[in-house]
Amino acid sequence: MSDAKAGRSGPTTSTYALIPKPANLQCMDLQEYLRTRTAETLEKLYNYPTICLAVYRELPEIARQFVIRILFVEQPVPQAVVASWGSQHYAKEQAASTACLTELNVWRVTAIPGGLSAWELCPTFKKNLKIALLGGGKPWSMSHTLEKDSKPRDIAFLDTYAMARWRCVLHYMVGTGSSNKAQDSEGISPDAVRILLHANLMKRDERDGITITRQGFQFLLLDTQSQVWHFMLQYLDTCEERGLSLPDCLSMLFQLSFSTLGRDYSSEGMSPKMLTFLQHLREFGLVFQRKRKEGRFYPTRLALNVTNKHAAVPAVIAEDDKAQESGYIVVETNYRVYAYTDSPLQVAVLGLFTELLYRFPNLVVGVLTRDSVRQALRGGITADQIVSYLEQYSHPNMKLTESAIKSKSPLPPTVVDQIKLWELERNRFTYTEGVVYNQFLSQADFVTLRDYAQSINVLVHMNERTRTMVVTKNGHDDVKRFWKRYSKSGG
Amino acid sequence: MVNVMKGVFVECDPAMKQFLLHLDETLALGRKFIIQDLDENHLFISTDIVETLQARVDDLMDRISFPLHEKDP
Amino acid sequence: MNKQQDVESNKFSLLVIVLDTNPSQRIVRQNAQLLTQCVDAIIAFGNAHLMQCSQNKLAVLSCHHHATDFLYPLPGKQLDVRQIDGQYEVFSLVEKTVKQRLSHIITNSPKLNTPCESILAGSMAMALCYISRIQRNAAAGVKMHSRILVVTGSNECASQYMTYMNVFFTAQKLGITIDVCAMDKTMSLLQQGCDITGGQYLRLTQLDGLLQYLLWVFLPDPQMRQKLVLPPATKVDYRAACFCHRELIDIGYVCSVCLSIFCKFSPICTTCHTVFKIPGPMPIKPKKKKKV
Repeated sequence: MSDAKAGRSGPTTSTYALIPKPANLQCMDLQEYLRTRTAETLEKLYNYPTICLAVYRELPEIARQFVIRILFVEQPVPQAVVASWGSQHYAKEQAASTACLTELNVWRVTAIPGGLSAWELCPTFKKNLKIALLGGGKPWSMSHTLEKDSKPRDIAFLDTYAMARWRCVLHYMVGTGSSNKAQDSEGISPDAVRILLHANLMKRDERDGITITRQGFQFLLLDTQSQVWHFMLQYLDTCEERGLSLPDCLSMLFQLSFSTLGRDYSSEGMSPKMLTFLQHLREFGLVFQRKRKEGRFYPTRLALNVTNKHAAVPAVIAEDDKAQESGYIVVETNYRVYAYTDSPLQVAVLGLFTELLYRFPNLVVGVLTRDSVRQALRGGITADQIVSYLEQYSHPNMKLTESAIKSKSPLPPTVVDQIKLWELERNRFTYTEGVVYNQFLSQADFVTLRDYAQSINVLVHMNERTRTMVVTKNGHDDVKRFWKRYSKSGG
Repeated sequence: MVNVMKGVFVECDPAMKQFLLHLDETLALGRKFIIQDLDENHLFISTDIVETLQARVDDLMDRISFPLHEKDP
Repeated sequence: MNKQQDVESNKFSLLVIVLDTNPSQRIVRQNAQLLTQCVDAIIAFGNAHLMQCSQNKLAVLSCHHHATDFLYPLPGKQLDVRQIDGQYEVFSLVEKTVKQRLSHIITNSPKLNTPCESILAGSMAMALCYISRIQRNAAAGVKMHSRILVVTGSNECASQYMTYMNVFFTAQKLGITIDVCAMDKTMSLLQQGCDITGGQYLRLTQLDGLLQYLLWVFLPDPQMRQKLVLPPATKVDYRAACFCHRELIDIGYVCSVCLSIFCKFSPICTTCHTVFKIPGPMPIKPKKKKKV
């Protein structure tokens, strides 16, 4: 399942915590997700040019250079030659890239005549990446030619639609869905609820029904692109149960990810299972379709570049682009937070870590206090998440201040530092349950026992001068046995 | 023979350690809880006192922090 | 590694390729097929650049014998391209646009009677203008790096010396890297440009595998180039060209006001109109006789 290494995790404490810390939200990026798949699955996935292209873009820089260099080479390339391509100073980065390529099954080791070990790209990956770059092969499933749409939809409409649908999901999580706004009060389908439960973002309680969990709160603070990606990964985990094939779904998801915004695509020729998948995507706001039976659909901004959050905002603003949904939060150096919004969802999220003071029709005023931030920290939200949420939705005027232009962040550095300090305050202690050994009779005894404990990785602390050492609780039995054997034999 | 004691290994900064030593000396938590003073940043204390200790430290932190802004009356 | 990528990835790279399509080039006159091969290689290279990062941008200019034109992107609305095979539609768009525009330019260009030189300096100036416009429209907080790749089989022509120097110094000021791929003769002036802006100069002796050369040497952006081992910079010929005859000279006269270079002495500087005194013979100082 999705128990891979964390991309984001809570405040770090020592591994054998006395007070058990509840689980935190683990977000995976594409690489980490692929590493959880088996080699056979990867082989199936690499049959699709879209997936090869997506995987290529996610590789580290040096890895991308290596792959493109050997893409057009027929024979395997000796490892020594590949090693010589990188400069010595960046050997560590090169090693990381090499490891990454091997783990993702993009290339593999093979022997060439002469006995040297060499790298060669896995044939499926090589073939399909070449197809994506140069052509050949079958068209991707959404590209059948269409007649012109009689009622084309423009980008602004698609944006509004996508955000409205996505917000339905978020509103449901926060429980503000049943407000008086007609648009937002649509519920979400049982399918979507099932995914939220599976992802542990919400849980079923006998008394309260379905409520949001700790991870759910952390999920709310992520930026929209990361939210969509995490949600889709959870969906893909359950897709096999619904009878959908993982490679097909993933390939469709990436085809959408590489499509052009504002253009319509054809759903003709898709299998019924893929059409079901398309309907689910329609519900979450990743595609727009006027009617269920209609043969065309429009991908929305949520579906585009689903793995790369920076690509969501265009790097170059074309002359005729209208202003998009901009930030609305202003943070002042006196810890006051002003949010120009009337959306109950956004107010609810702000209420998680600020103390709300006033509420006006278009403005909410709050203040960041030690108590409000500590309350959020207790709920599992990290200081980094709070800071990145504020940065993400900061008002455009914040980016124009003197300090913002010099530093990378639009927020006042005092406030950012203080939030981080409040988090560190909670970590002044680290606890480890353990056992202390002292009053050794001889230095030799101490050294032997210490080395043994270190060799089985249970040594936590040692002081040679006072001949004291501490081992973990779990390691104590092993060390005790060793000590008995040792004192019986020699000592 | 070697002296073996079960407990909890605590890592902290020197200032916090002095605070713990103070609590121990003045029997503020009802009894002495430090089993061994290891070094500048580490202590070994008894297991059952941990929760009370955490509450006490939180209390201290609350007392030494001052609000950074003035709330409107 | 995740967080590191987050911080680094809010940047993108703009690559402008200036392709010399002048039919007077010796290699084109010898074998017209070569131009098609070069264009295919350039398109694949441009698509490889777009493949690196979803935010990367590409532009291709053709330097023809009579004018410079944009091959990609088209000014105004782009072509409506649907997939006919497995190629990513953005790459198909680039390929189709470049080929269509180039064939349009070649068929509609005025007839060429005598071989004429390619005005590469002018094309590079146009590239600089395009880069400057895109830079102005870049969103706040996004880092953009640009570079120009000049692919040419022409001869060096010192007549464009001044324009080249203006282009190189502007590029240096704006932080734009200039790379050059010379397919025939050595281009010493362009070499100087690469040297000033920190780009790569490569002279090919044979054109098979042009794509592989381009991918190996020119695909990584300058930050990435530090991490790879690339052909070392060759010794650059730093001779200047005189302003009067456009000939490369080793020794000459330099105006002390505007620093223009002349091969022969002239009493008035043609650039800044300063008047110089004609140097007469040096007055001989009487030698002081030493008294013993």
